[in-house]
Amino acid sequence: MNNWMMQTLLPIGADVMRSIVIAAGIVVFSFFLIRMIPGDIVDVMGLEGTLTYGQQDAMRESLGLDLGWWTQFAAWLGMVAGGDFGSSLRYGTPILDLLKVALAPTLTLGASALAIGMVLGIGLPVLACIFPRPIFVGLVQFITLWSIVVPTFSIGILSVIVFAVWLGWIPALGNMMVPAIILGMDTAGTLAKMLHEDMVDIDRAAFVRTARAKGLSRWRVVLFHILPNAFTVVVALFGILLAGALTGAITMEVVFGLPGLGTLTLQAIQGRDYPVVQAVVIWLGLTVVIANLLSDLAQRALDPRIGR
Amino acid sequence: MAMTPAPDMTIRRAAMPPLTAAGLAIVALLIGVALLGPLLTPYDPYQFSIRMNETPGADHWLGTDDQGHDVLSRLITGTRLSLMFGAGAALIALGIGAVVSLFALSLGRIAETSVFSVFDLIRALPNILFALAFVAAFEPGAFAVMIALGVSFSPMFAMITRATWRQQMARPYVAAAQVLGASPLRVSVVHVLPNIVGALVTQFAIILPRCIVLESVMSFLGLGVSPETPTWGRMIANATQYTEAAPHAVLAPILALSVATFGMAIAGNAMRRRFDPDRRRIAG
Repeated sequence: MNNWMMQTLLPIGADVMRSIVIAAGIVVFSFFLIRMIPGDIVDVMGLEGTLTYGQQDAMRESLGLDLGWWTQFAAWLGMVAGGDFGSSLRYGTPILDLLKVALAPTLTLGASALAIGMVLGIGLPVLACIFPRPIFVGLVQFITLWSIVVPTFSIGILSVIVFAVWLGWIPALGNMMVPAIILGMDTAGTLAKMLHEDMVDIDRAAFVRTARAKGLSRWRVVLFHILPNAFTVVVALFGILLAGALTGAITMEVVFGLPGLGTLTLQAIQGRDYPVVQAVVIWLGLTVVIANLLSDLAQRALDPRIGR
Repeated sequence: MAMTPAPDMTIRRAAMPPLTAAGLAIVALLIGVALLGPLLTPYDPYQFSIRMNETPGADHWLGTDDQGHDVLSRLITGTRLSLMFGAGAALIALGIGAVVSLFALSLGRIAETSVFSVFDLIRALPNILFALAFVAAFEPGAFAVMIALGVSFSPMFAMITRATWRQQMARPYVAAAQVLGASPLRVSVVHVLPNIVGALVTQFAIILPRCIVLESVMSFLGLGVSPETPTWGRMIANATQYTEAAPHAVLAPILALSVATFGMAIAGNAMRRRFDPDRRRIAG
């Protein structure tokens, strides 16, 4: 019992603790980083010439910007803990509402990219393992090289020019399929490389020879004997891939004119709307932390040899 | 002619794969253009003219953009600027990542844990998100972007430093230095550092193209250099509004960026295979 606790619960506890510390760090970081800005929203609106000095003071007071940073931090922390990110300084709408609207395109794009990446990243190495012919192995190498060498940003803009402006196949703004494919191919590369290497290694293991000697078909050997043993790689990479797909989505949204989190953040930065930037940093940061934690925990569950 | 010559049995260095050679050639070309920059530009890259959105021809090899700038001249100047900002960011990342983590590792367990939890924190925030937040906090501009990217990529150097430092610390030469009374800091800096420089340089080669792309993205988003400065990202941002009238003005910087990152990534990847046979390690 004691032994079991030492070996199982302690590392899990350590993982969880580390994630909590990082999550807390992100929250504190996002508050103070934004507070370092010289000039606040009131200054910006003042420069835009819409406010008198008296109105500026009144606005600072009503927004609580005249209080010390510690008071602001405490108040803000209390609100964030309750899931309330406050209101956009510019639009006056609750940030949670803005986030909910913007989250849909980002999540759809990120999720479809991740799905395409998983299908290609797992499918190609499996094919290459079942049929070890140059064409299939070449496909794995191609997608690996592609993701290392071709940045999603430049290929994204190129496809807008070619498919939207020249060929007119897709609308210049608001297309979701092309960015999903671009991000998906990028996601697939890392996964395909690692999985392929692992599957080739496992293919030489004694238990695979046994499976083959029993007379199992190649399909069965690969799908039920090799793939499950190589699957820890997929789980281990999941957090990184998810983070990559989400961040890739931020850039792709702006390139393809999708109204998601990236576009929202960009507008918020240009308009000095700090609370919105903070909320996006916290949301995306926590999503990545949680994905990494789940990835670590699942890896432990799948492979008991992983220790501290 | 029935007899074929006996096969040459001497051991030779394997020929360089053509792709790697292409990558290295591109890198050499980029460095050449960046260094010679002002000597190569046919026109002043900042000079306006009334010949706007002109298609490529004898006068302007790559045409002109929406303000009548010569695209080729801007592309050449942009090569220098984009490489400079990208390399600057990667150097900052190398500096912070390697120096801070070497100090922390030498100072012992507590320093190591606290410093690396900060690196973990930075690593948890995706690069572009970190750069956006950082630039939001300071004035948008070329230097803010460079520092932001430098800080956001620093954990990648810190991880490599820690991994290789640990390997080296188990070597006999470290024990010998310790027995001779060298302080932990001296061991790290004088003895271990020269042995991990290779790994750091390889990591630099891999990070550099990513910094260049992200700098372009930030410029494209309007958060990097000022609008008239011709970095590749800025040129793309300006020209995307006129893709129908002047496709060459947007294609030129996009292709330059693509070819540059292609060459650098190929070269970096080849370096990793050459100097870092442990292919399993995930960089960062």
